[in-house]
Amino acid sequence: MTPQPVVNRSLLALAGLVLLGGGLLILSAGLDIYRRHDLVPPAGWPLTTPDDVLLGSADRARWSSQGWWWWPAVIAALVLVVLLALWWLLAQLRRRRPGALPVGGTPPQEGIELLDRALSDAIAAEAGALPGVEHTAVRITGRPAHPLTRVGLTLTSQAAPGTVLDALCEGPLRTARRSTGSSHLPTEVRLQVAGHKPHRTE
Amino acid sequence: MTSDDPAPPTHSTTPSAHPATVPLTKEPEEPREQPAEPGPPEHDVLPPNLTAGEHDRGHRSHRPWSARRLPAALVAALVLVAAGAALVDVVAVRAGRPAAAWRRHLADELATRPVDDVWMLTGAAVAAAVGVWLIVLALTPGLRHWLPLRSPAPGLRAALDRDGAADLIRDAAMRVPGVGKARIRVRRHRVKARADVRFRDPRQVKDDLTAVLDDERGQLALARPPRIVVRVRRRTD
Repeated sequence: MTPQPVVNRSLLALAGLVLLGGGLLILSAGLDIYRRHDLVPPAGWPLTTPDDVLLGSADRARWSSQGWWWWPAVIAALVLVVLLALWWLLAQLRRRRPGALPVGGTPPQEGIELLDRALSDAIAAEAGALPGVEHTAVRITGRPAHPLTRVGLTLTSQAAPGTVLDALCEGPLRTARRSTGSSHLPTEVRLQVAGHKPHRTE
Repeated sequence: MTSDDPAPPTHSTTPSAHPATVPLTKEPEEPREQPAEPGPPEHDVLPPNLTAGEHDRGHRSHRPWSARRLPAALVAALVLVAAGAALVDVVAVRAGRPAAAWRRHLADELATRPVDDVWMLTGAAVAAAVGVWLIVLALTPGLRHWLPLRSPAPGLRAALDRDGAADLIRDAAMRVPGVGKARIRVRRHRVKARADVRFRDPRQVKDDLTAVLDDERGQLALARPPRIVVRVRRRTD
């Protein structure tokens, strides 16, 4: 898989820290925590008394009169933030697919490739024929060098997940490994059970 | 079609229900070979010594980590809208146009409301709560709806849907003679089975039920078999 989860989680943590820090700053000043507990905030600490405002006109005047570079700097920073947010958002919407997988192990044989969709269709067809499997959904994600096969199986109510998993490993996944010629095919399997009314299975 | 995503992003919000129970501190209960690692689910290659102290078969299946797509998309969209609006207005003002009404209003409010104003305090409390929530999302695995299964091969990770597990266990409970109705609640570490007994001695039914459910738990091949709690109730109406 791509390092996307790490990026997502880091940025979420960053956003969370910013919100938490800002919220606590305002709360501690607004509830007058510093005075009640005889705490002395360091010099230059923003928001120390309940009468403070977030952005007074004095602050605005001070920031705006920084010099000619102030507004260009603000615009540049905003452009940067907008671009980063856009990239982050698009990364969530995009699904990376390998397209074609190299065939023949290492080094891959020149010019022979297997389309990811062909492989996932083949796995789905073979897995769908296993006993106890009602529906399959197979997708291959990741980059050609590091594909990840995601198999979603809906089992019938008579199936035993452990048995189906073994059969999947011995059947379709072994075939897939053989057809790509790579001994290593990372796979993620999600099992669900077809919904049904309570009944006595004989 | 094959393009169905087995892990729709909506699952990423499932851990929200119990933030207090989510944290990683559950992991150390595991056999110590698996340190809880907050990394991406890239555990393709399991170290060979893993299999030594394993169960009767197979390799331990790690708990999958959610990619957190949905919260990431939401936060990204919010930041994009806010920064984009600010950028447009700053540029417009530099170009000699008057500032937008929302900006003047916002600046006015920020300059006149002291921080002990009730709206400021509410807003700050909400922001802090959302911040805590985002941090929890960032640090916890998520996907609480999926129970990891023992994996029969290295490089294969498998998980079973909790509702599916409940359905299978319920079917097994219904096979016990005397059980008229069974309600199963599957949680990550405990399965609660409540059964109505229509005939036979309830104590005997309970023993049978316990045995059958233990057996069914083995069939599920869960990496971390939950405790099973059986309750029976006589119901003859």
